[in-house]
Amino acid sequence: MGRKILLVEDDGETASYVARGLAEQGHVVDRADDGREGLFLASEASFDLVILDRMLPGLDGLSVLRALRAAGVDTPVLILSALGTVDDRIEGLEGGSDDYLVKPFAFSELSARVNALLRRAEGKSASIDTRLAVGDLEVDLLGRTVRRAGRAIELKPREYSLLEYFARNAGRVVTRTMLLEHVWNYHFDPGTNVVDVHVSRLRRKIEDGFEQPILHTVRGAGYRLAAE
Amino acid sequence: MGSRVPTTLRIAALSAVLALLSNLALLGFIHLRTHDDALGVLRERATEEARALTGVYGSGGRKALDKTIADTLGTGDPQLLVALVDAEGRPLSGNIAAPIPRIARTRTDFAITRLRRADQPAPVEVGIVVRPLRHGLSLVSARSFGERLAFQRLLERSLLLALFLSLFFGVICGVITARYVGSRVRAIADVVDEVGEGDLARRAPIGRAGDAFDELSKRINHMLDRIGVLMGELRLLTDSLAHDLRSPVGRLRARIERALTTPDEAQRDQMLGGVLAEADALMRILTTVLEIGRTEAQASRRQFAWIDPAELVAELAEMYEPLAEEKGVAIVVEAAAPLFPLMGHRQLLAQAISNLLDNALNYGAAGGQMILFAGQDEDMLRLGVADRGPGIAEADRAEARRRFGRLDSSRSAPGAGLGLALVDAVAHLHGGELVLGDGAPGLRATIVMPLATKRAKADARPDSLDSLPRRA
Repeated sequence: MGRKILLVEDDGETASYVARGLAEQGHVVDRADDGREGLFLASEASFDLVILDRMLPGLDGLSVLRALRAAGVDTPVLILSALGTVDDRIEGLEGGSDDYLVKPFAFSELSARVNALLRRAEGKSASIDTRLAVGDLEVDLLGRTVRRAGRAIELKPREYSLLEYFARNAGRVVTRTMLLEHVWNYHFDPGTNVVDVHVSRLRRKIEDGFEQPILHTVRGAGYRLAAE
Repeated sequence: MGSRVPTTLRIAALSAVLALLSNLALLGFIHLRTHDDALGVLRERATEEARALTGVYGSGGRKALDKTIADTLGTGDPQLLVALVDAEGRPLSGNIAAPIPRIARTRTDFAITRLRRADQPAPVEVGIVVRPLRHGLSLVSARSFGERLAFQRLLERSLLLALFLSLFFGVICGVITARYVGSRVRAIADVVDEVGEGDLARRAPIGRAGDAFDELSKRINHMLDRIGVLMGELRLLTDSLAHDLRSPVGRLRARIERALTTPDEAQRDQMLGGVLAEADALMRILTTVLEIGRTEAQASRRQFAWIDPAELVAELAEMYEPLAEEKGVAIVVEAAAPLFPLMGHRQLLAQAISNLLDNALNYGAAGGQMILFAGQDEDMLRLGVADRGPGIAEADRAEARRRFGRLDSSRSAPGAGLGLALVDAVAHLHGGELVLGDGAPGLRATIVMPLATKRAKADARPDSLDSLPRRA
């Protein structure tokens, strides 16, 4: 499942740390260390994902991003930046990036987001799903209903949204900030375990009374929905 | 520094020129009012007399002329001076006493000189006409100035002298003014220089006169006072930031050290997890400090959009409900419908309310209930959280909203004391304020914000240009 990823990052240490980590997961990583080269590579070659720093020599990351989008390149872009206030992030997302991660970051967080983006890009080209299945858990996207082992499970709207997001990223790590951003559309860190409590409520509903655990906690990173 | 001398010079020159011009106007006025053509009349008469006498000489010769001169003098005209002069300048007849000035020996149409009448002790000023005759003789016909003309001449000469004096005094006044202005300006400039070099305690001198320079000094001093206060605040903030980061960094270090010395691998892994959590907490503090700074700089107004306050409150209540339930607290939503929409920053408002909810859960959970409310009266929107906990004593409320301000009662709980400071900053961003009130019992924290109609006016002020829509 190795994919081609372009990493545009001028800080050598961060770049080799990220490149090594992604290569260990089987991806092929190309590197560019300034904005112009990054823009050139991203528009010439075909990549499955671009990881873009914001503060770059030559041409800043946001300009690279806008130029790419203006040229009709719709490769998923993940911005990796030390500019981390709410407004910085919104600016990046509105500038056309698909995800925004603030430095310093945990590699597990980056990896989870990269995988989610690659998966989403894959989904775009495939036929539109109307149902998702993870083991014996089924999510009906049209009826917004959930069944496990044939048994209907009642979920509140927010619990359903959570589960749908987990199911769309089945088998992959989903972090707390990813949940906050995608399920609640909040780009700040509440600092308390609000998200954890929601997840454990959901977990009780989809695990209680069934043999197999299906929503796993990944220590130090987040959660993973998978039948094991 | 280099332009200071020429400036003084310019002031001096300007002052001199102005003095000269005003004196010139004054003297000109006096001249116009006192001058008439008495001299012109005098010249005409002297010329006429010379012509008549020359005519007599031409037709009757010397004899006829001498007789006519004697006759003319016989009329007793006190202003008339007339003489027949030989080639050496000696008077042969008439009433002009020797010596005759050189001018009287050549043809002169009209000139002013001094002559003495033979019957008078001193020479007087006269207008003179000289006509050469035959045999080296000359006819001198002159008229002495009357009192009025003499006075006019004196006045004209005095006016000319006055003009020169005024130029002289003008230059002196200019130099004095320039020196005075220069020294006052220099006194202020020196203070500014010294402050610029780092001596913030220096203040500009203020005299008793209360003139424009004193006013300038006063304003500069006021500005310096304000800068001093701001720098003090900044220093305090930096100091407390450094101070408050010491304890999490210290904890981080201690955890790393303990992990390093733990031989058991499983235990070490667990400790490293704790290290990560500690580092994340530290990052969160720094992010929040940045967020507060950015929010206070009002840079976030570009992200403003219409928000339904009731919806925002409902969303956050739903988000916190499970956590609150775990802590045995019931969240009650009080949203007085219908609410006007608010032009605001959804993310920051949500974060602010989430901070209030966190605070209520951390410090007011004992009350068993908290109220998340949204309401409006007149054109103010009120969003906030009320708990039933111990509350904050009135004397402590200012400290509670300060950055890194932590009350003694909360020192043991986790947190960096940034929560309410951020809420305060978000309230300011929306043109409002955070009000900490008594919920009797418990704390009632309210973000009071003006609704759009009122802020539209505030936006028209130049200091909030940031919020105006930009179209490239």
